[in-house]
Amino acid sequence: MPARGLRRRPRQIAASVATYAAAVVVGAFAIVPLYWMVVTSLKPQAEVRTAEPVFWPSEVTFARYADVVERGFFTYLTNSLIVAGTVTVLGVAFAAFAGYALARFDLSVKRYLLLLVLATQMFPVVVLLIPLFTVMRNLGLLDSYIGLIVTYLSFSTPLAVWILRGFFQGIPAELEDAALVDGCTRFMALTRIVLPLAGPGLAACAIFVFIGAWNEFLFALTFISQDSMRTLPVALQAFTGRSGIDFGAVMAFSTLFTLPAVVFFLFVHKRLSTGMVSGAVKG
Amino acid sequence: MMSASTTTSGSRRGRNSRGGPDVGTPVLPGGPRRFTRQWFDNRALPWLLLAPALLLIFGLVGYPVVRTFYLSFHEAGLASLVSGDMDFIGLDHYRHIIGDPHLRRVFLVTVVFGLSCVVATMVLGVAVALLLNRPFKGRWVLGVLVLLPWAMPRVAAATVWQWLFHDQYGLVNWVLVQLGLEGFDGYAWFISPLPAFFAIGVVVVWGAFPFVAISVLAGLQSVPDEVLEAARIDGATAGQRLRLVILPMLKPLLLVLVVISTIWDFKVFDQIYVMTQGGPARSTEVLAIATWREAFTQLNFGLGSALAMAMFVILTAITIVYIRMIREEEGL
Repeated sequence: MPARGLRRRPRQIAASVATYAAAVVVGAFAIVPLYWMVVTSLKPQAEVRTAEPVFWPSEVTFARYADVVERGFFTYLTNSLIVAGTVTVLGVAFAAFAGYALARFDLSVKRYLLLLVLATQMFPVVVLLIPLFTVMRNLGLLDSYIGLIVTYLSFSTPLAVWILRGFFQGIPAELEDAALVDGCTRFMALTRIVLPLAGPGLAACAIFVFIGAWNEFLFALTFISQDSMRTLPVALQAFTGRSGIDFGAVMAFSTLFTLPAVVFFLFVHKRLSTGMVSGAVKG
Repeated sequence: MMSASTTTSGSRRGRNSRGGPDVGTPVLPGGPRRFTRQWFDNRALPWLLLAPALLLIFGLVGYPVVRTFYLSFHEAGLASLVSGDMDFIGLDHYRHIIGDPHLRRVFLVTVVFGLSCVVATMVLGVAVALLLNRPFKGRWVLGVLVLLPWAMPRVAAATVWQWLFHDQYGLVNWVLVQLGLEGFDGYAWFISPLPAFFAIGVVVVWGAFPFVAISVLAGLQSVPDEVLEAARIDGATAGQRLRLVILPMLKPLLLVLVVISTIWDFKVFDQIYVMTQGGPARSTEVLAIATWREAFTQLNFGLGSALAMAMFVILTAITIVYIRMIREEEGL
């Protein structure tokens, strides 16, 4: 740290006050909807719809959670976990290989491939829906996990390739070159040097793919007609339709739907913030 | 940049470089095995690595795109979609789109709404990233908090925000009234287009800014300290360092984020579907909703496909402009 003059102090204090104020505003914007969701789901019925909001319930009730679970929540949860989990593992693996190839090899078709990858993202998913619906119907894959998994891979892999390519480019090629000099094959250099270094990138990408599959609403709505095969977003939409103005129950379902995503997120968050690359190069 | 030459000059024979007696012994050039390995590493391997992703992209995106293009020139109802027999009607669907005042309005609304969301998302995302890059107590708390909107499923977020925007018992109206805006007492957000779009926009930006913020933060942290220190020694103020050093270094990243945000915000579907279903009176229909409505409630898959193709063209045009800019930056 360079020495700072005393005259800078008032400005620094003003800056730090502004920083904290901004932090509080941003933090509130981010957290209040989630807080309100959880609190609404735990309130006694009389405190949900009030002119003056009740920020802290007089007593906590879990009755709505029991109700939501009774109405098939775990079935929907299992469906969502199977679909999103499989998509994450396969999608990140495919994307890591492709992203590495695009980042490191001087392929003549590279510029077209990148365009293609981006182009796949531009196409409104609403429309992939029509032909894919026909295909899945003909293959008998409606109301199946495979139908959803394969479909979700199609739209999550391209952007994952794009993101991982960026991460791989950020990893100095010298590190691999050193490994290659030491006798590694390319593939070993990829799996032993680059992928561990790309840990934060892979984590970010895995989160991205998982959240995408966990969130997906439109395909699930179209492909799944059996209630027992519904994933959570579609189930929530149906639940909201059935529950009408029972905001407490809807918020309870939303909370349970949101919870696994948040836990997963915070679990890998550590890996996101570790600057492994900067450590390797600077250290 | 490419390491082919390094590979050639540096690679050793044999795969087990660890522990073998020949470790550290230089290998003479030549030999068929070495040639094979080099060929494999530099020619075959890239394509093997690309293969799974390419199969997915071509099979599950390429085919449907071509199929949709085909459908947009045909009269396709549900029965003919399943059986495959349909009448070719040329550009009729496209003529219909141009002639229909509601659909013309949908295009305008999509562009204005999409761009507004992109600008708001980028500004908020970069601002939050700069904030998170400052040292202050409890920074990690804020770092976790801003991740949460991103982690929250869109359907759940839209459901919760719908409750927050409730006219009688919503938290948003209550806060606005507390801030002295009495007009928001019992204000109904979803009975006219502009407020409804504002509410939807808030939900979209709320869900999208964390991704931008976290990505920009990662970029900010990758700016070498030496560069910033040099700028500081040269007398650059914090504002100058941001404007003249940090942002130019992050320009490629920012461009990519703008591309991604544009693509996402032009395709917004879930939030609108959950919050207004395109209403009132179809006034909050954007292209994605209109496409879905034509295809899956009117069962006019041909017109739906034509709308989607139009949207594809718009997004392609915007993206090509961005890609040009990225290419100039990266020399791709």
